[in-house]
Amino acid sequence: MPRSRTLRRVALRLAGAVFVLWAVATLTFFAVHLVPGDPAQAILGGPGSQASQEALDRVRADYGLDQPLAVQYLAMLARLATLDLGDSYALKTPVAELIGGQLLGTLTLALLALAVAWGFAIGLALWSTSAGRIGRAIAAGIELTAAALPHFWLATVLIAVFSTSLGWLPPVANDSASGLVLPVLTLAVPLAGFLAQLMREQMLEALEQPFTTSALARGETAAGIRLRHALRHAALPAVNLSGWAIGYLISGAVVVETIFARPGLGRTLLRATELRDVPVVIGVVLVVAVVYVAMTVLTDLVSRAVDPRIALEERA
Amino acid sequence: MTSRRSIRPLTLAALAAASALVLAGCTPAGDSPESSGDPVTGGTLVYASGDGEPSCLDPHVGGNYPQALIVGQFLESLVSLDESGEVIPWLATEWTVTDDGLTWDFTLRDDVSFTDGTPLNAEAVKVNVEHLKNPDTQSSTGYLALGKVDSVEVVNDTVARFHLSAPDSALLESLTQPWNAIESPAGIARGMEENCLAPIGTGPFIVDEWVPQDHVSLVRNDDYNTGPADRAHDGAAYLDGIEWRFIPDSASRYAALQAGEVDVIDNAQPDTLDQAAKSGSLVEIDAPRPGASNRIELNSGQAPFDDVRVREAFIRAADVNDGIDSLFFGTAERSYSVLSSVEPLAYSDGALFDTDLDAANALLDEAGWTERDADGIRSKGGVPLTVRFPVSTNQSIPAEQSLFEQIQATAKEAGFDVQLEPLDLSGWYGALFANEYEAVSAPYTKVGPDVLRILYHSDSITPAPSGYFANLAQLDDPELDALLTEAASESDPDARASLYEQAQQIILGGFYALPLYDQQNHFLHSPKLEGVRAMPTVSTPTFADAWLAD
Repeated sequence: MPRSRTLRRVALRLAGAVFVLWAVATLTFFAVHLVPGDPAQAILGGPGSQASQEALDRVRADYGLDQPLAVQYLAMLARLATLDLGDSYALKTPVAELIGGQLLGTLTLALLALAVAWGFAIGLALWSTSAGRIGRAIAAGIELTAAALPHFWLATVLIAVFSTSLGWLPPVANDSASGLVLPVLTLAVPLAGFLAQLMREQMLEALEQPFTTSALARGETAAGIRLRHALRHAALPAVNLSGWAIGYLISGAVVVETIFARPGLGRTLLRATELRDVPVVIGVVLVVAVVYVAMTVLTDLVSRAVDPRIALEERA
Repeated sequence: MTSRRSIRPLTLAALAAASALVLAGCTPAGDSPESSGDPVTGGTLVYASGDGEPSCLDPHVGGNYPQALIVGQFLESLVSLDESGEVIPWLATEWTVTDDGLTWDFTLRDDVSFTDGTPLNAEAVKVNVEHLKNPDTQSSTGYLALGKVDSVEVVNDTVARFHLSAPDSALLESLTQPWNAIESPAGIARGMEENCLAPIGTGPFIVDEWVPQDHVSLVRNDDYNTGPADRAHDGAAYLDGIEWRFIPDSASRYAALQAGEVDVIDNAQPDTLDQAAKSGSLVEIDAPRPGASNRIELNSGQAPFDDVRVREAFIRAADVNDGIDSLFFGTAERSYSVLSSVEPLAYSDGALFDTDLDAANALLDEAGWTERDADGIRSKGGVPLTVRFPVSTNQSIPAEQSLFEQIQATAKEAGFDVQLEPLDLSGWYGALFANEYEAVSAPYTKVGPDVLRILYHSDSITPAPSGYFANLAQLDDPELDALLTEAASESDPDARASLYEQAQQIILGGFYALPLYDQQNHFLHSPKLEGVRAMPTVSTPTFADAWLAD
């Protein structure tokens, strides 16, 4: 029985994922087309290029842009069904290749930022829950400020301080690891604010639970309780939040990759949106959706590992 | 030395003047160190472009400024311009035209090969023109520039004969443009995708690798023996290569220059230019783009700007000068011409553009826009005096967008409701195609005054339903059409100048456009970099004679 239940769960998940991807592709397709604009002009060189009428008509015919929207939509679905993301209008190259070349950079950035944010958040939560009322107030202030920092502003300040004034770190990405520090910090700090806030509240709640008293009675130290018991409680909602965080980080990557001149999906998406490069926009959004779905599954599994009660509840 | 036999005394005189101007053109941003003297060989230059990344490195495909900036490093044209606007030899050493203006013979250098070994000959020129004219190439700018070229005939290896459908006084100017540069036929034959990644030319550098959204690596062409006739030295470039980076954010670009991560930046913004001038440690090159000035076109094809009084009222009400002074930190100079100040035939008339609120109000009263609502917005028969002004956030820098806001505020005092709509590029094109605008600012770069024909001839007003048109003022005047058509085929320089002056008087006098300033094109570079200049063609930098001092 448990085995067929697992299979059903997997099948349901897969069906759900396919539905999500179809919905995402459809919404994106119509959203891109609802905004007025002409991809043909962009195909012919964008700003400053001087396209003739003949060239525009030719491009519209070549790319099927003169077809009714419904026909274009069905053609896109047919393509996607065969796992073909199509060719970029502007770059004349296959979308899959384009995304393949940019995916690693963005994922590295997002995952490093997530890891650093967790580090900050755990540190802050552990410190603030042991630092009394004043410590907690200070921590709350830091968390709120950090969470509210806009990426573009934070990036500019970090560049001004660490590159222009101190000269410690390069202001734009380069091949060395030092080029990653400022972009990762830019993404990690606001996220750390969110995570720390959540963790601190959960830890404080856990520390008031009866098991804390019993652990203290068994001779556990206060620090040990925070590390071994309260942190586990606090981690659970934070793990769930991390699935959402990946989406947040990838959208943040649009800004960060532009400011730090890093290649990546965010910049690809920004540029493709400006040019109405529909195949690229849909391709990037689909890939982000796949990563998001995968992260949700992953956080679900991690939650189960952290808290076995979840699986038990489901079975009951 | 290039093409000795074709250089006429006039050209030599112009060359002398040109070299003086080149030096004058590179104004130090502050008390920068003096030139250290002899050129140094070696080193890789890092260039940071904020002008957007090309989608294809072959400028025959599409044809915009980001392409022009980079392709000048590896592709060359048949002819070039010197600083005085005179056409000078490049890959072609001399040219002749028949009296009817329909047949042009270009004599090519016989000692030049593309970097793949293919010889430069008349056949190569023919292949390039056919490539540009083939709709499959998706050429826009180069295609338009060669509109009157019917075919190219190979007379022999070194003579290419252009057959024209009509005389074209702008042909040489068009051929100087990087969008009409000559590429290896073997390179073109590889197909669009491959040729987009690494076009093959005769230039001082060779495309080695393009990592999208990051950089293009260019390496020195050791066999380089060409260059326009006003080149500073013979032979290969001093630099080992160029790393051409794309850094879209202007603050990061400037920070990278300050940190020494890059040697040159383009699209330096007014605030950074001001900062750089104060720091005194960087060198500025101010090289306005040719073609049209930056101007606000008023759509005369529909109400309310189909009434000349309303157009004049808008122009009289809009206070431009104070905005330029405060927002551009003295880095931009007010223009009173629809042509760039680097165009020798540009005509200005400042008297037409004096700000005068009383005159504006009187004109609007006279035109019947007499009702005013609580906000002071005028209306006529219940229709408010609305000016829809779509702004392309890709093409207008923040300082310019602020200037538009100041114009909006000052025009409101006369009763105009100016609705600024910030749009991304596609949305902006969309608003224009749908005729949903009364005012618009659109950049246009082209060598020579023939740009006026593209921008203001009635042929350039949209033919429905599909789209693009360059005559955004929708100026429809048979007298102007006749002048522009005649000028385009007039070979006598004095007659041509007179025709273009009359044409510009009609455009300015009819208040179809509000000129603002030249298309801004400022470069900042480290004082270590020497020997760099902006080409007098479309003001792109060239590093063929540049070196990095120790």
